[in-house]
Amino acid sequence: MRVYAICVYLFLYMPIAIIALFSFNAGRHASQLQGFSVQWYGRALKNPFVMDALQTSLMVALVSALLASVLGTLTAIGLQGMRGPVRVIFDGIIYIAIMIPGIVIGIATLIALVTVFDQINPWLAALWPEASEAPSLSMGMGSLIAAHTMFTMALVVVIVRARLSSLERDLAEASADLYATPFGTFWQITLPLIAPAILAGFLLSFTFSFDDFIIAFFVAGSETTLPIYIFSSIRRGVTPEINAIGTMVMLASLILLIIAQLILRREHKA
Amino acid sequence: MNVSPAPAGLSSDRFREETAPVAELRAVTKRFGDVTAAKNLNLTIDRGEFLSFLGPSGCGKTTALRMLAGFEQPTEGDVLIDGGIVNDSPPFCRPVNMVFQSYALFPHLTVEQNISYGLKQRRPRMDRSEISRRVARALDTVRLAGFENRKTFEMSGGQQQRVALARAIVNEPKLLLLDEPLAALDRKLRKEMQIELQDLQRQLGITFVLVTHDQEEALSLSDRICVMRAGEVVQMGTPRDLYDDPKTKYVADFVGTSNFFEGTVLSVKEDMAQVELADGSRFEGRASDSFRETETVCLSIRPEQIRLTGKAEDGAIEVVVQNRIFLGEHTEYLVRHSSLGNIIVLAPRQAELAGTAFNQGDRAWLNLSREAMLVLRQD
Ligand SMILES: Nc1ncnc2c1ncn2[C@@H]1O[C@H](COP(=O)(O)OP(=O)(O)O)[C@@H](O)[C@H]1O
Ligand SMILES: [Mg+2]
Repeated sequence: MRVYAICVYLFLYMPIAIIALFSFNAGRHASQLQGFSVQWYGRALKNPFVMDALQTSLMVALVSALLASVLGTLTAIGLQGMRGPVRVIFDGIIYIAIMIPGIVIGIATLIALVTVFDQINPWLAALWPEASEAPSLSMGMGSLIAAHTMFTMALVVVIVRARLSSLERDLAEASADLYATPFGTFWQITLPLIAPAILAGFLLSFTFSFDDFIIAFFVAGSETTLPIYIFSSIRRGVTPEINAIGTMVMLASLILLIIAQLILRREHKA
Repeated sequence: MNVSPAPAGLSSDRFREETAPVAELRAVTKRFGDVTAAKNLNLTIDRGEFLSFLGPSGCGKTTALRMLAGFEQPTEGDVLIDGGIVNDSPPFCRPVNMVFQSYALFPHLTVEQNISYGLKQRRPRMDRSEISRRVARALDTVRLAGFENRKTFEMSGGQQQRVALARAIVNEPKLLLLDEPLAALDRKLRKEMQIELQDLQRQLGITFVLVTHDQEEALSLSDRICVMRAGEVVQMGTPRDLYDDPKTKYVADFVGTSNFFEGTVLSVKEDMAQVELADGSRFEGRASDSFRETETVCLSIRPEQIRLTGKAEDGAIEVVVQNRIFLGEHTEYLVRHSSLGNIIVLAPRQAELAGTAFNQGDRAWLNLSREAMLVLRQD
């Protein structure tokens, strides 16, 4: 039994360990260890394409996580006030949104946006005073952010909902009893108490967006995010530089996830 | 002093404000779907009194309180505060504060921030210095000075209870509502807090409305008690009234302990009624109401009003002592009568000292005086 467990863990973590190990390879072949070096980290960080992709990824992750946190929190609060079948339906929809595979969201968003753009662009061209200067909507940063926000918002809703429903009704009532208006109660009691859940939701959303390849692949248009860059470089062969980038991305994601977990855990105890 | 943001129209009429009862329920009914939680409640709450709602769990006490606080709207009838109808005024507009059974202290705020919460909501804003002066006074009142910066979850149950009290009284409400505030405390602490509550009420002169299922608590604290049953008020009166003159068996049973014997009315003369019990024995007792002959009623006698003797006296009934419990200043006997069944008798310590102590299995006689017997409506 123990051997079996060890095998499972080896199977799970070997590939990741190998990537991390080979990122310190001194040689330039990905399959042959030739001594220890951190040179590939330096190269990766100096590579303008990498930095450009990183900037795009960070931008998309930051904006979509912010949007998801705000919209998701508002949705969770709205759902909290609902009763009966309406609430059951909306709860269901939220969970389904989380379970839908990324590839479906990617394709669906792509088709939906392309269809909408095809409808709108002729109108824009027709209505614009100078037809040749008319803006034309297309895939890019906007569609990336929108698709990521859509997916991660559901995560935020679920996390914030869990926190909201564990809050005692008494607290909001006590606040109202102490002369606070509904807005005052939200601002002074509800929001501070769910803030850790919102922050955890934000970090998770950020990580999901930052790591996402599948959805981005479909809706990124001409933009290159870091996962897309890695994917396209691999087609030209795996270099220790890619391993170094992968290791850094993994570390950053792991740290964010651990922070989110710690926040949620501490929240549970208080 | 301007106490709190009373709804417009309430504070304008000073005359009405000073003469009307502080709060009033008029024919108030509250239904939750099929459940009628409160049924045709009529009561007035006088300025400065300590009123208790007493009744078993689920009889609608909390619902009545929540309608006064504004968390529930009556299905029918009117809720009045200071003579004005407040049915539709939300909790934050009512000059009323509540101490929740769970305390509902804000976990992310310190003790001081919890207590100052109500004062900070006032518009126009209250001076910072004035707020801290009042908070300090409230902390003093509940003997928690020095605890300002504690987090509430670091405190004991009794201390949390006092923070909850301070958080309410600092606002100087017209009406302080307490929903089973002591239920979560252990017995000794509960006794202490009862005394503190009573002192507090006298010292502040605020009207207190307490909800409890503990008759002892209601009897010892209240100026008036409102006994409830299944959403209705059964009887209202001072603790002494309820104890000495219960109108129904339910009240006699719920307020204090009593022995009950079922029977039928033989004759009624002035305020005395003669009752025949199932075994054919006849007793006379004070009629709590007007009864018809042959009506089924209940004879009630309090354990401490029965005299237990070792000799057969005129009119006494013979019993066998079943059990004896020493309670300190009293001894409680459980005795058995051949046809009336078990009877509880409370004998004062003096009787024991005078040599009339009984042991299990002893024969004894009970004196049931007609003045102590009450004829009650069976319900
Ligand atoms: N929000 C509610 N929804 C449905 N039923 C309720 C609600 N609040 C109270 N009730 C019902 O009303 C009755 C009285 O409840 P309550 O006032 O809490 O009694 P008490 O405080 O005397 O124990 C109970 O039967 C309870 O189930
Ligand atoms: Mg209750």
